[in-house]
Amino acid sequence: MIPTGMQLTDEEVQKVGIVASSLAQAACVAGIENGRCQRCQQRSLVALPDGRQYCSACLTMGRVTSRTKLYRFPSGPSEGGTLTWSGTLTGPQAAAAAAAIASVTAGRDHLLWAVTGAGKTEMLFPLIAHELGNRKRVAVATPRIDVVLELAPRLQAAFEGTPVAVLYGGAEWPAQPAALTVATTHQLLRYYRHFDLIIVDEVDAFPYSQTPMLAAAVAQANRGPTVYLSATPPKALQRAVRRHQIGVSYLTRRFHGFALPLPTLVVLPLKQVPKRLSPKLSRLLQAAVQGRQCLLFVPRIDWLAPLAAALNTQGLRVQTAHAEDPARVATVQAFRAGEFDVLITTTILERGVTIPRCSVLVLAADDRQFSASGLIQMAGRAGRSQASPNDPVWFVARHITKAMLSARHQIHALNAVGS
Amino acid sequence: MTCLWCGQPLRTDPPLAGLLTWRPLTPPQLCARCLARFTPIAPRTACPGCGRADSPALCADCQRWESSGQVLLHHRAYFRYTAAMKAFIQQYKGLGDYRLHGAFASVLQLSARGAALVPLPSEPAHYARRGFDPVVGLFGHLKLSFWLVKADTAVPQAQKTRAERLLTAQSFTAQLPVHPPPRVILLDDLYTTGRTLYHAQAALRAAGYAGEITSRSLIR
Repeated sequence: MIPTGMQLTDEEVQKVGIVASSLAQAACVAGIENGRCQRCQQRSLVALPDGRQYCSACLTMGRVTSRTKLYRFPSGPSEGGTLTWSGTLTGPQAAAAAAAIASVTAGRDHLLWAVTGAGKTEMLFPLIAHELGNRKRVAVATPRIDVVLELAPRLQAAFEGTPVAVLYGGAEWPAQPAALTVATTHQLLRYYRHFDLIIVDEVDAFPYSQTPMLAAAVAQANRGPTVYLSATPPKALQRAVRRHQIGVSYLTRRFHGFALPLPTLVVLPLKQVPKRLSPKLSRLLQAAVQGRQCLLFVPRIDWLAPLAAALNTQGLRVQTAHAEDPARVATVQAFRAGEFDVLITTTILERGVTIPRCSVLVLAADDRQFSASGLIQMAGRAGRSQASPNDPVWFVARHITKAMLSARHQIHALNAVGS
Repeated sequence: MTCLWCGQPLRTDPPLAGLLTWRPLTPPQLCARCLARFTPIAPRTACPGCGRADSPALCADCQRWESSGQVLLHHRAYFRYTAAMKAFIQQYKGLGDYRLHGAFASVLQLSARGAALVPLPSEPAHYARRGFDPVVGLFGHLKLSFWLVKADTAVPQAQKTRAERLLTAQSFTAQLPVHPPPRVILLDDLYTTGRTLYHAQAALRAAGYAGEITSRSLIR
């Protein structure tokens, strides 16, 4: 394989069998220097009994110890690529894409603040095509592997004939350097000053938001500007926008042109949940499945089974899904096909799920598990289709929290900007 | 303190009795939920020879060891080799995450009174690569006796089939103190076929040890 622009440990170099001539061109640095891991730039070192240290931050990518050597292979321009997608963008989408291109050309970072269901991926096509036309290297990175698997075929279809590398844990490394890369943010740790543009999708999603290492990985793999994509950008990005440090374009309307459904806050005693449902809550749930399916979010995995049993006694067809559920993908598919009424789930399904006619009910929305951005994402599961843009959203809680108010306020503000 | 496996904050309430004895405190390093992922082996129903779960009579493996002239080790193991345990071993030994070494310290409690706790050492090449000895790490909170030395072998046990494992040649040598205690408990991380532990037993006998030899491992 040709390791253009990669950053590999001596063990990885040996495993994939890199020829001596390309190894001679690589810059070689010590794995740990000045109390910092040189692969991920973090300071979370752990001592070993034999006197060495290793980095615990990037351990899942293979251990870097003080004896490891890191090879940084030189990079260069790509062979380019062309857009073969023949669809058209709506007016606001095209405007947002043009603003992003302007920022990137000026070498500035850019935030694409697009509401849930705005058609973000299509908006990226002109930007990527513009960069590839200049023989630049582009990466689309996201913290979530399921988003990578969903994006990769869509991008490959839009750029037919352009080599697209798909990187995630356990995937084969590309034999040839590709012009366009779709990767999890973790995989960017294996690149050094390689990309001219990195587009980070779902910046506020777990684990990117909680892991400073991943932001460092993006910064290190990049040699040009970064474009961030989010429906709920983190505070730091919002601040950078206010200070005009980065460019911004808003997309406050969904592709179908309707406003986002505004959540209704419902205060109810939830003491007996999840074992028993109060009459009020039962009535609310019956209203939620009236002519629709319902996504029911709960804060804890151990609520799933008793709640499903309680709903079953009311004659509703119920299934559950959570992060460690091996049948998760199949359950969601069955839900999409309309095989049952209520899907009870944890925050795992707050992103990337599109059900045509679907109401959303967040139970115990005052739980500390639910942040404002998480609540906005969950509310964003409703009203995604043209046929039913006004699906109801309820936040049911014992108390009203700051996160709930903030979520409602932000949705309201985005709707106001859009009208 | 946070749980070594899930990173959630750990609340420990040491029992009063634990505070009043002179024994060193070993507070749990895993939270209750993470510890519950691992399946313990009930000693009552385990095989008397090798500690295999749900085998109250001597299992076929042990009968084979016995018929080949071995004195049984009366092995005891703490946990089954479930998917959760495989994930733990992969993280600890495979990736080399030494932070996990104390994860089961509160479970692996053994008295060194009247007995020598002898860990099975790792090969020099493996130690050089990992930077730590996995068995010594797991049992590091106990008073250990380092009597055994292991020579390098061509292929690690983990990469062999069952038949190949059983054919492995002896690679242990033992050095005994002048007055060894009457009992020895061999310590290992994983009991699969028993080949390694019986080799260690043979090495101790070859060095002239005449006392009782039993064994323990984290996993069976």
